Amino acid sequence: MARVRTTRNPLVVAAIVLAVAAAGAAGWGGWERYEATHDDAAAYAGARDEALAAGEQAVQNMNTLDHAKVEQGLDSWEESTTGDLHKQLVDGRDAFVEQIEAARTVSTAEILSGAVTELDDRAGKAGVMVALRVTVTAPEGKPAVKESRMLGQLTRTSEGWKLSALGQAPVGNTAG
Amino acid sequence: MTQSGGTTVQDTSSKPEREPEREPGTATRTGTEEGGTGTPRAAWRRVLAATLAVALLAAGAVLFVQGRHLRDTPATSNRALTDTAGTNRVVGDVSSALGKVFTYNPRSTAATKESAKRLLAGKALQQYAALFGQVEKQAADQKLTLTSQAVRAGVTRLGTRSARLLVFLDQVSEREGKAATTAAAQLSVTAELRGDRWIIVDITSR
Repeated sequence: MARVRTTRNPLVVAAIVLAVAAAGAAGWGGWERYEATHDDAAAYAGARDEALAAGEQAVQNMNTLDHAKVEQGLDSWEESTTGDLHKQLVDGRDAFVEQIEAARTVSTAEILSGAVTELDDRAGKAGVMVALRVTVTAPEGKPAVKESRMLGQLTRTSEGWKLSALGQAPVGNTAG
Repeated sequence: MTQSGGTTVQDTSSKPEREPEREPGTATRTGTEEGGTGTPRAAWRRVLAATLAVALLAAGAVLFVQGRHLRDTPATSNRALTDTAGTNRVVGDVSSALGKVFTYNPRSTAATKESAKRLLAGKALQQYAALFGQVEKQAADQKLTLTSQAVRAGVTRLGTRSARLLVFLDQVSEREGKAATTAAAQLSVTAELRGDRWIIVDITSR
């Protein structure tokens, strides 16, 4: 082969060089693409951002309820949750509907900031912290605006990340 | 010829070329030698080989670009949690700094002010200086003690030199002779890495 090559004309040499370069480019490109799809750090970063977006949306949903559209609101609560939290909501739904219809309040929430504090990509578990502003309007009186801080646990389901636990971040118990 | 026949696409294409050059014959002679079918076939092969080479190059380029795109996204440029050590460090530095600058008693306001100069910079230091003027007086007049602790902090964005965090702060204030009260604060903090320490450059109360 080597002996043959020396006698070739420049066009053929160029063709071979081009061919080798082309094969190399395809191989390199393919490798880069393969590596990228199997890049754990990139997948982990993606999961973190998905968890945060889903977590913030779920926390907002859970702090939003209009007594005039209570069924719709509670559907959104149930869609935002999974596991024990979901079960609690389903079990307590009827009692809650009565409560809200009696109180006739409208709650809206605005997410101020949120962060993922822990993420286990493999187990499909994440922890989020969210600062939000909740406005509760009763039939009479001025709307009550309250800054709130919440901690949520997220679990990955086939329909994405959902809240499996949610509570106010405690104030005072950890200090001192 | 048979040996090299099965190697790669390019070799096949150049086969007709190779043969004539080894023999001292002319190109025209080889053309006739290969027969009437030889020349169009050789040309066809060359076109095929060139097309294949171009297709391979293009495929390589496309795959490479796709790979880059997959890796170089807004998600991957944010190293919050993906860089565990870096995340822990900025959380530690910022939490400790907030605890120090928002903790004072009537006798320690000077020390608190000093630590603020080390731990804060830019807009955060200006905001702090404006606020602390009142605090200093209040602390002395009312014998006020404030103890702050970052109870939870999360990184929303971590770059190489700058980071954004959300911090839940508990603030216990105590006036001499009165019961302590605890207040909750939620802060968005921007920090910059200066030297080997994260310095707070902006604080926004949430």
